[in-house]
Amino acid sequence: MELTGLSTDQAPPISAPLRFFLTAPIFAMLAGVLIFTTEAQTLMSRYSYETIAITHALTIGFLGFVMLGALTQMLPVLAGVKIYKVESLTIASYILLVIGLLSMVFGLYFQKQILNFIASGTLTLGFLLLIIPMLFAIKKVVNFTPTVKAMGVSLVFALLSILFGAHLLASHANSNITDSHYIFANIHSVWAIFGFAGLLIIGVAFQVLPMFYVAPRFKQFCKKRVVLLISIGLILWAVTSIFFNSYAVVTKIWIGIFFWAFVTTVWIKLNQRRRPITDVTVLYWRSSSVFLTIGIFAWVFNTFLDDKMIVPVSILIGGGFLISIMIGMLYKIIPFLVWFHLNARGYMNIPTMNEMIDKRVSKIQYILYVLSLIGFTISYFYPKFLELSSLSFILSMILLEYNVINPVLIYSKIIKTKPDFDMSAFGMMQEE
Amino acid sequence: MASIKEYLTNDHRRCDEIFASMEEAANESLADAKELTQEFVDATERHFQMEERVMFAEFEQKTGMTQGPTAMMRQEHTQMRSLMQQMIDAIDANNKDKFFGLTETLMILLQQHNMKEEQMLYTMAQQHLSADADRIVDMMDSIVPE
Repeated sequence: MELTGLSTDQAPPISAPLRFFLTAPIFAMLAGVLIFTTEAQTLMSRYSYETIAITHALTIGFLGFVMLGALTQMLPVLAGVKIYKVESLTIASYILLVIGLLSMVFGLYFQKQILNFIASGTLTLGFLLLIIPMLFAIKKVVNFTPTVKAMGVSLVFALLSILFGAHLLASHANSNITDSHYIFANIHSVWAIFGFAGLLIIGVAFQVLPMFYVAPRFKQFCKKRVVLLISIGLILWAVTSIFFNSYAVVTKIWIGIFFWAFVTTVWIKLNQRRRPITDVTVLYWRSSSVFLTIGIFAWVFNTFLDDKMIVPVSILIGGGFLISIMIGMLYKIIPFLVWFHLNARGYMNIPTMNEMIDKRVSKIQYILYVLSLIGFTISYFYPKFLELSSLSFILSMILLEYNVINPVLIYSKIIKTKPDFDMSAFGMMQEE
Repeated sequence: MASIKEYLTNDHRRCDEIFASMEEAANESLADAKELTQEFVDATERHFQMEERVMFAEFEQKTGMTQGPTAMMRQEHTQMRSLMQQMIDAIDANNKDKFFGLTETLMILLQQHNMKEEQMLYTMAQQHLSADADRIVDMMDSIVPE
């Protein structure tokens, strides 16, 4: 039986997840600046290089970084397994991903193929360095909860979408665009969004909603079947898209129904929660449910419009659902990690979680972020709103960075002082 | 008779319920929440002692693992006891912000602690102590907190 998850020594050092968490809003700011400086007309096409560059600054730079950081932290706690050489692998993966993503964003934006080549290799390696050891760690899990299963399936979709992505970027750098390129691009994006990010969120919600808000637990059917049913939908969608395209809409409805059912359940569970507090994380869960509901119906309906609306659909689902929930999660997890690691080292006089993040600033951050999403969606039809929306987005990400960096500054300040209790003595006492 | 795992897991849920009622009351008026806070602290303390004085002790004796998971859980109990004391102090000082800051921290610490127990330690305990499960549950049930 694996015992490692029960010890803080085995959990990754605080720097492992924080490195990813603190970088995520910076990539989002970069995306915001690029949106601000790019012609609205160019951004209306999903396949313009600028759009692809900006999309990946957000999907890899924000979503990918937050998810990797969270997984390094959550796997030991939720699954009780240790990731192989987690400390050195997170550093190596982080460096590769930062270099790779900057190369990709600027390579695509300024059409420098050499950068795209570099990006294709470094990004793939950066992702695999963490995803493969995580998958091996999950293989060793003894007690497979629905959350751990969802994490495993999500990582498999991550692996496949990354391999597709590497192929797409390399063939782009080679100027070797075949007919299958667009089919691969579709599978890559749908599996990354719904498979990697979507399933991870669903799996984590099973644990987090009852835990953090004392909301009623999810039904067994939901916990046991939904991840499987969505996965089947995603595979059938890929098959129909390649071979029987006219039936692909049926599988889209299939996937859509389960995601919609999920966010509706989240909404109802939040209504029934026992904890009375409505903090910014509850607001993020709420608005992400609304955005996903609109987004998922638009995604299905978009089939009948020859996918013309894919850009606003992506804003609603990617920004409104996925990024929103991840921001909410950062607000909970970062102050807790700071508190937990300080406390484990024997510091007793630590600011509480609420003292680490300014509630007013987080509310303003939330409002600016939601306004920017609404603005971006409207800008698709009325481009004059684009600049204002991107400014609101950039500002919201600056405030997010400010909010999440504050607890870390508190950590580095306190860690320089002497602990109230010498915890090393605690360890020694046990050994005697 | 319930298994060790079921018995202690149900007790976690009972404490969660009191915790939620305590916060509900504190949201209205901090002073009125004092009784429920004490009830939560007592219920949690009783749970800790059922583990430390009965289940952990039996587990350690049976497996010989005194520095393993139970040591970690004991350390987290100490962290939570300190937070609960601070919550009572915050009520006495009528400091609502401090109180909710502490409950927020306690909630997450408590939940990740419970998760580790329910998913790993209790399962292990159930395996190692199954022959004595009824006796151990009985002992925990009749514990008088010190």
